[in-house]
Amino acid sequence: MIGNYFKTAYRSLKKNKGFTAINVLGLSVGLATCLLIVFYVVDKVSYDRYNTNADRIYRITETAKVNGNEQSYAGSEKPLLYMIKDFPEVEKRARFIPVNTLFLSSQKFRVRKGNNDIQEKNVVYTESSVFDMFTLPAISGIPALDEPHTAVITQSTAEKYFNTTDAVGKTLTINDTSFYKITAVIKDIPAQSHFNYDFFLSYTSIREYMAPGWGYGGVHNYVLLKPGADIKKLESEMQAIAYKHYPESMHTNGNYLKYTLTPLLDIHLHSIAQYELSEKGSIQYVYIFSVIAIFILLIACVNFMNLSTARSSNRAREVGVRKVLGSARKYLIYQFLTESVLVTLVSTIIAVVLAWLLMPFFNQLAVKHLAFTLSSMAWLIPSLLVIVVVIGFLAGSYPAFFLSAFQPIEVLKGKLSTGFKGSFLRSSLVVFQFSISIFLIIGTLVIYNQLQFIHNKNLGFNRDQQLVIKNTTVLGNQAKILKHEIKQMPGVLNATMSTYLPTGEDRNVTGLFPALPIDIKQDVLSDFWPVDEDYINTLGIKLIAGRNFSNQMASDSSALIVNEAFVKRFGFKDPLNKTVYRFSFGLQAFHIVGVMKDFNFSSLRDQIKPVALVYNEDRGAVTARVNTANLSGLISQIENKWKNLSPNQQFSYSFMDEDFDATYRAEQRIGALFISFSTLAIVIACLGLFGLAAYAAEQRNKEIGIRKVLGASVSTIVSMLSMDFIKLVFIAIIIASPLAWYAMNRWLQDFAYRINIQWWVLAIAGCTAIVIAFVTISFQSIRAALANPVRSLRSE
Amino acid sequence: MLSLKNISKYYNVGGSKTFVLNKIDLDIDAGEFVSIMGPSGSGKSTLLNIVGLLDEPSEGYHYFLGEPVHNLKEKQRSALYKSNIGFVFQAYHLIDELTVYENIETPLIYQDVKSSERKALVADILDRFQIVGKKDLFPAQLSGGQQQLVGIARALITKPKLLLADEPTGNLNSKQGEDIMELFRKLNKEDGVTIIQVTHSEKNAEFGSRIINLLDGKIDSSRNI
Repeated sequence: MIGNYFKTAYRSLKKNKGFTAINVLGLSVGLATCLLIVFYVVDKVSYDRYNTNADRIYRITETAKVNGNEQSYAGSEKPLLYMIKDFPEVEKRARFIPVNTLFLSSQKFRVRKGNNDIQEKNVVYTESSVFDMFTLPAISGIPALDEPHTAVITQSTAEKYFNTTDAVGKTLTINDTSFYKITAVIKDIPAQSHFNYDFFLSYTSIREYMAPGWGYGGVHNYVLLKPGADIKKLESEMQAIAYKHYPESMHTNGNYLKYTLTPLLDIHLHSIAQYELSEKGSIQYVYIFSVIAIFILLIACVNFMNLSTARSSNRAREVGVRKVLGSARKYLIYQFLTESVLVTLVSTIIAVVLAWLLMPFFNQLAVKHLAFTLSSMAWLIPSLLVIVVVIGFLAGSYPAFFLSAFQPIEVLKGKLSTGFKGSFLRSSLVVFQFSISIFLIIGTLVIYNQLQFIHNKNLGFNRDQQLVIKNTTVLGNQAKILKHEIKQMPGVLNATMSTYLPTGEDRNVTGLFPALPIDIKQDVLSDFWPVDEDYINTLGIKLIAGRNFSNQMASDSSALIVNEAFVKRFGFKDPLNKTVYRFSFGLQAFHIVGVMKDFNFSSLRDQIKPVALVYNEDRGAVTARVNTANLSGLISQIENKWKNLSPNQQFSYSFMDEDFDATYRAEQRIGALFISFSTLAIVIACLGLFGLAAYAAEQRNKEIGIRKVLGASVSTIVSMLSMDFIKLVFIAIIIASPLAWYAMNRWLQDFAYRINIQWWVLAIAGCTAIVIAFVTISFQSIRAALANPVRSLRSE
Repeated sequence: MLSLKNISKYYNVGGSKTFVLNKIDLDIDAGEFVSIMGPSGSGKSTLLNIVGLLDEPSEGYHYFLGEPVHNLKEKQRSALYKSNIGFVFQAYHLIDELTVYENIETPLIYQDVKSSERKALVADILDRFQIVGKKDLFPAQLSGGQQQLVGIARALITKPKLLLADEPTGNLNSKQGEDIMELFRKLNKEDGVTIIQVTHSEKNAEFGSRIINLLDGKIDSSRNI
């Protein structure tokens, strides 16, 4: 019996090859997208699960409320862990100090390889217990970090620096002066981990280890609790300890300091704390993407139902005959379900192939490294089988019930009993699908317009052809020499030396006061950048009053050049020669010698803030304004000079305009995401429309035949059929446009500098939708219009 | 075997009733070969559909093989119909995706006949109608007459007591039509199958034992030949 069903199903699918292909395609695309999203969600949700003790590991989170502001931090007080080590619930404890929270030791980390130093960022100072707590298996040696100047490195790090994983006993040279002995090499940490370090150095090596007391909150404290430990009790005990050591003001007048235990598995997605060890994921995105996946699947199923029932006249006759031959309705239902399960099976296979092909592109979009690994097969294959059955039944149920309901007498006479009854539902579906598509098209256009605007915006300084040589601090006194040498080179128009660049990440903010005595309420926070006399000229910043720094004037050591925003904040009518004060290692006084035109130095999301340039040597970077045809030649020339001055340090550079574009990586990614989803939505909407057009053409078969006999031309009929659908698209445009306009305006509010949404954006989106819809329907309507009326009017 | 008493079929159109069949009384014995004739719109096909349990009358009593059909539930009616009635259509209505063999075997599948038994039964009837060589062809590859032959084979495979035919030769030329009618006569005389056919052709009606004329939903005349 089942064999009969499969045979019939296969043959009838083959008979309508075109339709079947479109149906399969639609379902495959929907399933493939779903699959990719499932991979993403599974990846996100399985963070840190590689640890066998995962459900007993907790991180101490500190929440502080001061003067009405509450903040949570992933780091907490150093002595905390000492204090609770004797608690019976705590089985093990471990501390992480990532390099960026060091305040007594260097934050920059350079490792010697051969004759060169390489900058490394994935470094942490920690202790031996870390390897007992977390599942970090060693491939050689025994991980021990009790002694000062010992280290554990990962497999790939060992390969990178020693060309072998057998690196136990070897020495790492750090920052030219420190030497660490490697005690073990561990396996690379899985990507789904909230910390991902290449170097584990012993905590006892740095001065912060010795530093006493409370007030240094840069340590990340982790505990492994015994099974059944009382979390609340532990939290209140930590609380009590803290209050013993902190001044009263910390926990009165509405202020408080709370310690909570955050489960390891909650950190990546649910944490609201600042200064986590790595970039947090967001449970919001997981929810959003899951909803999107379910949504897409639902729409794909509905389209499937739509298309399956669109060409029902062929099947109707067969249904009638089978019923006359004695088939009970349920046999017909089984038969049609078999058909849909078959289609779903084929679609699923194609979907898997599609997902595999699209994986690299998706990885780029979501900044992930998802892959079809062996372990993913474990949950993938069973769930695919379940999906085939569930979707086959779900999507196939409506067509099965719909088609099997036909009454033999009516269909054998050629009458399709349902008439146009189901069409309201189908039309609404098409309107819905097109609304989403138009919304996404508008969104895409707006995002790209804004990106274009950002790219082209005049920022108030010159960012083209600016070569930035990084980390020149390592040259020490020689840095200035490098700058002078570069300035002399042909092709270089000017050069300046300072860490602080409009496109850079480094910032220095300080409080300035307009008058003595210092009144804390008059504090103005301003960026405060030490630069040289070439800065303004190299970057092309305009002076609108006063003059540039001069190395001839001794008094310029306390001179400031400020921007318009600075002047406005202080409310100076005549800023030149005004004095401002700074309290930092004693009282300092500065006088304003020049005012520059505002330029954008933080993201275009923010209004321009006050900034003051001070005449002081800062060696962080050398920026050269270049104008040469032989750029690579110039760069190698500079690299040679670098090597002469400091042979062992890593030479790195970038271009200012690229740095600038990079800060908008997130927006670019959102743009790419929008384009992908737009395309997807349009494909799905077109499928829905195609199904509806086919259904309508079939239902109105007779009417078209009659009209043709009465003299209608092909074009009249085509426009008559098309008009009904174009109307639907218009409704979609009317629904989608205001929603899209509102939503994109909200998104644009994030930017202090932004475009206005032009009317032609909405018009383009609408026209695109209409054109696409028309192309989709045209095939069906032209075919219907060309049909021989005799065939459709023949009844007996 | 078949008895219709006071059978009417009407549709409600805007308050008033339109009668397709109007108080029909009809008795048919086993072994008869009846032709129902009449102008278009006289209700011939409707009458046949009611007899064949494919449609329900609006009023009246219907007895088939001693069972009061008008009182039977859907399931019982279906059971009664499946094992006792075969239907032949004017447009053959073969399933295009199935071969001749599969078309003929379909009614047996719905009666849960075992595979080996099915094979035997189908082979038998293919033999009898001399279309064994065509068993793996699809309907599209057959002529009209051959297709109708397959339709009749399909109707007969369950060995029904009653064979209903709605203008069986309507789509065939005169030679093919004659062959089919000869076959019907043989079935009726030699196998004792009761046949009721609806036809327009006087010639076809001659093959039967009784002619019933319908006019405007009522029986106009009934004569034996």
